[in-house]
This record gives sequence, structure tokens and C-alpha cells, in this order.
Amino acid sequence: MLEEKILKFCRLLRKGGVNVSVSQITTALEAVALVGLAPLDFYTALLSALITEQMDRPLFDKLFHLYFPTSAPEGKPALRKREQAALPCELVQGVEGQGMGRGAGASPYLLLVKAVRELNYPLLRHLAEIGIDSIGAVEQRAVSEMESLVEQVKVAVGWYQAVNTLEVIHAQEKVSDTVYLQWQDCFHYLEQYINSQLEELFVKKYGEEILEEIASAANLREKDFYKLDKRQIEAIRKRIIKLARKLASRYARRYRRAKHGKVDLRRTAKEALITGGTPLRLKYRKRVISKPELVLLCDVSGSVAVFSDFMLQLVYTIQNRFSSVRSFLFVNTIDEVTEYFNNNDIQEALEMAFAKSRYAMSPFSDYGRVFRSFSEKFLPLISPQCTMIILGDARNNYNYHEKECLLNISEQVRRILWFNPQPRETWDREDSIMSIYAPSCRQVFECRNLKQLEEVIEAIL
Amino acid sequence: MFYSVEELQKRLAACNYLTDKDVATVIYLAVRLQKPLLVEGPAGVGKTELAKALAAATNSRLIRLQCYEGLDEAKALYEWNYQKQLLCLHVKQNRSKSWDEAKDDIFTPEFLLRRPLLEALDSEEPAVLLIDEVDKSDEEFESFLLEILSDFQVTIPELGTIKARRIPIAVLTSNNFRDFGDALKRRCFHLYLDYPTFERELEIIHLKAPEIDRLLAEQAVLFIQTIRKQNLKKPPSIAETIDWARALLTLNVQKIDDQAARGTLSILLKYQTDIEKILPRISSLLSAD
Repeated sequence: MLEEKILKFCRLLRKGGVNVSVSQITTALEAVALVGLAPLDFYTALLSALITEQMDRPLFDKLFHLYFPTSAPEGKPALRKREQAALPCELVQGVEGQGMGRGAGASPYLLLVKAVRELNYPLLRHLAEIGIDSIGAVEQRAVSEMESLVEQVKVAVGWYQAVNTLEVIHAQEKVSDTVYLQWQDCFHYLEQYINSQLEELFVKKYGEEILEEIASAANLREKDFYKLDKRQIEAIRKRIIKLARKLASRYARRYRRAKHGKVDLRRTAKEALITGGTPLRLKYRKRVISKPELVLLCDVSGSVAVFSDFMLQLVYTIQNRFSSVRSFLFVNTIDEVTEYFNNNDIQEALEMAFAKSRYAMSPFSDYGRVFRSFSEKFLPLISPQCTMIILGDARNNYNYHEKECLLNISEQVRRILWFNPQPRETWDREDSIMSIYAPSCRQVFECRNLKQLEEVIEAIL
Repeated sequence: MFYSVEELQKRLAACNYLTDKDVATVIYLAVRLQKPLLVEGPAGVGKTELAKALAAATNSRLIRLQCYEGLDEAKALYEWNYQKQLLCLHVKQNRSKSWDEAKDDIFTPEFLLRRPLLEALDSEEPAVLLIDEVDKSDEEFESFLLEILSDFQVTIPELGTIKARRIPIAVLTSNNFRDFGDALKRRCFHLYLDYPTFERELEIIHLKAPEIDRLLAEQAVLFIQTIRKQNLKKPPSIAETIDWARALLTLNVQKIDDQAARGTLSILLKYQTDIEKILPRISSLLSAD
């Protein structure tokens, strides 16, 4: 019975993108048998046996809470301490008296401000629950709407007004940074609490089947780039650094092995002269590793910006795999940003590149114009050996496409690869003109999530 | 050997190493199930200390293997003592023996240089094998380690297979300098040591710098916990907390004010950029309200 439950739980983890091997499951079962089922012990046993990456931990926690609701340890110890300041009952009445339901007059954000300033976690939870009640029948929604639901609850509890008010207070009343950080912790906690409460509601309503959906929705590797929120972007960034490290080390190994390649006859014969013509030791030819030259053209308008950001980060982290990398940002005009990456921290360089270069005169991308000005300004300076990578959704906002220009560029470089972060189904819909540009490119890839990015990066190495 | 998590926790505490229940549970599991324990976490949270305390708590010998780039079997497992073999042959030169006899003579345990891994396997007394900073070693070494950690035996061609007399408690630490393979990770129990909570850190200070005033310690820990959230290159670790507490004691500081913090900030922060980030905001970070 328990074994089956644990097995199912592992399946959920796999759905969520965590690699769990059979031997790990066996270990987990042994561990549970050893420490028993007391909440914290059970949790620790599974965690330490199943999770090998620290970054998978939030997902594990989330699924564990939903799947084993009775054995989940309560909150972080740090939180528990603060919560001992129990909720005074007149305050509870006060909250309800204010009436946070729909149609109520008073806005609840003042209460939220109060709760945060007092670091009153019970009140925070209470507000979240009232907020969830107020948006009405959660039961009729689907899990895919989760993000918008959280957003609705946030609006209901006056999240944004409260953030603004507290910013003002922070600025005016000289609140110390220590306290300000604690406030931010409060908001973070509130958001997570809303999230977990909603998920619990879903599980109550649909039973365990819904967990699979929740798990796969949380799978960062298969989540579309343009759907990521701020925290997920941070998480992906960490994964990209990891990916880059992996790519870099694989290179080192290949390089070492490559030394035992073909026999270099000339050098072997030369060596043999010393030993009177008998070749005692074979000399191998040193394999020269061709390092591709890269030119990156990154669309940084709207939804593509996140993807371009990831790609730049990845490419510059493994810079030593390329003989040279030049990068350009564009929206409707194009600017070179290579120099920012020269000897800076990559994150800083990205920020500087985005802040200082001139890539947009309007927020609407115009590929035609960009290709034209690229051929005029930069093409003569680009080596014909380079691989050019264009990152973009090919949404031209109904401007002229200038495909001749791209064709001309393609004749002057080794190859053009196009990475499109939009789902393949949407290509050539609305203002997307992917198929007009595709003939000039050696290959066009769909590259909408981390998994595809991993696959695609192999194509340029 | 111990038979409950609480007992382990108590014994570690007796060796001046304070743990939370969940940390102790993972260690307990690894020890009882005889699996290697992989400890990860930011620098200076006491990963290596954990292994030392564990050795003390279990009355075992600590055998330490420090990993670095280029570490190979010869340095980690065993090596034939080449010079000694040569000497031996030289001495025996006159008594002419057949090659087979000579070979049997020089490839015996006497000429074997035991490196930490072999020593841990071959140890008579219980041992804690600490493989420090596994992430610094090469990939080849990692897969070699795999074999030893899963079977606890090695094969030396001239001597045959050597099985562990008793399976040592293996502790691997990593700073996430490099990501290592899934195969190794799967064989281990995972322990992520994070910066301690406020209460825990306070206890640690009292343990390591007992003369410190309670209020001063509280103020110090609060300040450090705040700094850790500031997105620094290298946030202060427990080691730095202890150093700082001792420094404050030496300087006879009663209450950490602007001046005292400014003067000692370099103990907490090791990068100039970090110091520059914190210095202008120091008074704001110090006040608790």
C-alpha cells in the first residue's frame, strides 16, 4: 500500500521533470522502513533519497504537500516561531467586518499593509483565504488557469496597492532594510500560500488525477519561454548555467581523447631517426578543433526578449567553444553589443547591453528594416566563415519583408540558423512570416522551452 | 553505531556540532543504509566539519581525501612504491632468482603505498571517509569513485580484489563548482546544508564563543542574517560569523554600532565589491526597526 503510494509519487516527480531512478526508489523505500512515518522523518527520507538537485526541491515540496497532506511538515521552522504570536480574535472579526467579499466597499489592502508591517503571518493566511473565497467558484476552473487565478486573488487582497503603499512608507519613513526584507518575505509567503491553497482546492475537487497536471505544469524544462514568470526565469537561468558547464566539460574530454587520433607519419619517421630508423614510438596527429564563429542576431521585442536573454547567456558562458562571438540586438533597428561582454560578469553585461544599445525606435519589430540595415552597416565586417543565428518569432508587424536582403546575407556567411521561440503551429499565422525567411536559412528550429534549447545548442557546436 | 536519530543528534552535539532533526535524519539514514552521504551547500556552512564531528561521534578514524583537478588513482587509491621495489631488487641482485620469484617478492603489500581510499577500505577500526570537494575532481575520477562507493571493494591486478573489512561511512562534499554525473548522485543520500536559522546560529555562536553577551550575539546574528539576503558575491558563512563574534569580543564591543560594524566588516565580507555594496547602507542594515 505504502509502496504503491510512494511509487505513484515518484511517477509524479518524473512528470514534473525530476529524474528519479529505480534504485533511488528502492533506497527511498528502505529509508522509510528505517525511520518510520512520523511526518518530518518520512519527508526527510523521501527528500534525501529522491532529490539530487537542489533546484528540484520546490517542486518536491509542492507535490509532497499535495500528495501526502497529512505527513507534510508544517512550514519552515523560521516561520513557525513567528507564528506563535497568535491571531487575536477581535482582529479576525475586524477582518471579516471589513467585508472583503465581492461588492464590499472598503478595500482590503490596508489590512494587508497592516499584516505585513506587523509580520503577522496568521493574518496573511487569513487574508489569502478570504481572497480565494471572494473570487468564487474555483471548482469550475482548470489547472491551466492557475496563474490567472493567483493573479485574481492577488487583486482581491489588494496586493498591488499594498506593495505601492509599502514602497512609499519605505521611502518616506526611513524604514530599515532589515525590515524591508522581512516585508518582502511576507509577500513571497503570501503568494506561495495562495498558490498552495488553490492547488489544494483543485486536489479536493478532482482528486489525485489532477496532480499529474499540476506536476507537468510545473515542469520548467517543458514550459514555454514566454509563459515564464520572474521567479521561473531565475530558476531557468540557474539551469542554463548548469547546462553551460556540462557543455564546457564535455568539450574538455573530447579534446583530450582526440590526441590519440591518426598517426602522424612525418613526425613518427623523424622520431625514428633517433633510434636508427626503427619507429619505437608512434606520434599522433594533433587534431585541430574547428571552433565555429558565431554571429547572433537577437530579437528583443516583447515575448522573444526572454529567449534572447537565455541564449546570450548560454553562448557567452561557453564562449571558449567558439573562436569568436559577435552579438546584435534588434527590434526595428540593430545595434552591436559584443563589446559589453568583453570582460564583464555576464549578468551585468546583459543588463548593460539591454540598457545602453540602440535597438528600438518603436516597440514593434521590423525584420525587413533590420536585415537591410544589417547588410549595409555590418555585413562587410562579418567573416564569411561564420554561422549566423537569428533568434526571433518572425513577426514582422505587416512591414515589408526584404527577403532578398536575408538571401544576400545567407550567401555571404557559412550558414544561417533560425531559432523561433514560438510554437510551430503559430508560424505563418497573423503577422508571422517564417516561411518567407525560411528558404534563406540552412535550418529553422522551434525553440520554445529549455528542453528544445538543449537540443538546439548541439546544432551549433 | 547508533539506533535512533535522537541519539545521533545528541552525540553530534556532544562533539560541538549542532544539527536540526532533519539533517540528523539524513545522516542517520546514510549511516544505517551504508550509502555515501553527499553534502552540498554554500561554502562555510560546516560540510567538512560535519564529517569531522561524525568521526568523533562514532569513535572512528577520519580519513580525508581532498579532491583537486588532476587527482588520479595513484594519488587516491594506491601506488606501488617504485623506489623501494628497485632497492629490493638491487639488494637481491646477487642471489640470482627467477623472474617469477622476484615478481612475487616485489608485488606484495609491503611495497604498496596506501592512499586514502584504500586505507579506508582496509582499515581495521571503523572509519569515516571524507571525500572533500568532489566537484573539483575530473570526470574520470568521478566514475572511478563510483565503483568504490557502490561495492566498497577494489581490484589490484597483482594482489586480487580487496574487500572492505568494514564499510566506512563515506561523506562527500561539494560546492557545486562543477556539476557531476547523475550516476554518482543516484548512489548517495543527499543532504543540503543551508545557512542556519536565527536561533540555530545564535546557539552556534554561544557554543563557539561562550563569553559573548546574549544581546550582542543576537544583534550580530540578526545583522549577518540580513546581509545574507543582500545578493552578495560571497555571503558570510558560519565560519565568518564565529570569527566576527570573536573579533567583537576581542575589541570589547558592547553594542554593535556604525563604527564597530564598519571597522570589522572585512571579516564578514571577502570581496571588495561586496563591501562597497554594504558600507553605505550599514546603519540602515543595523537598526532592527
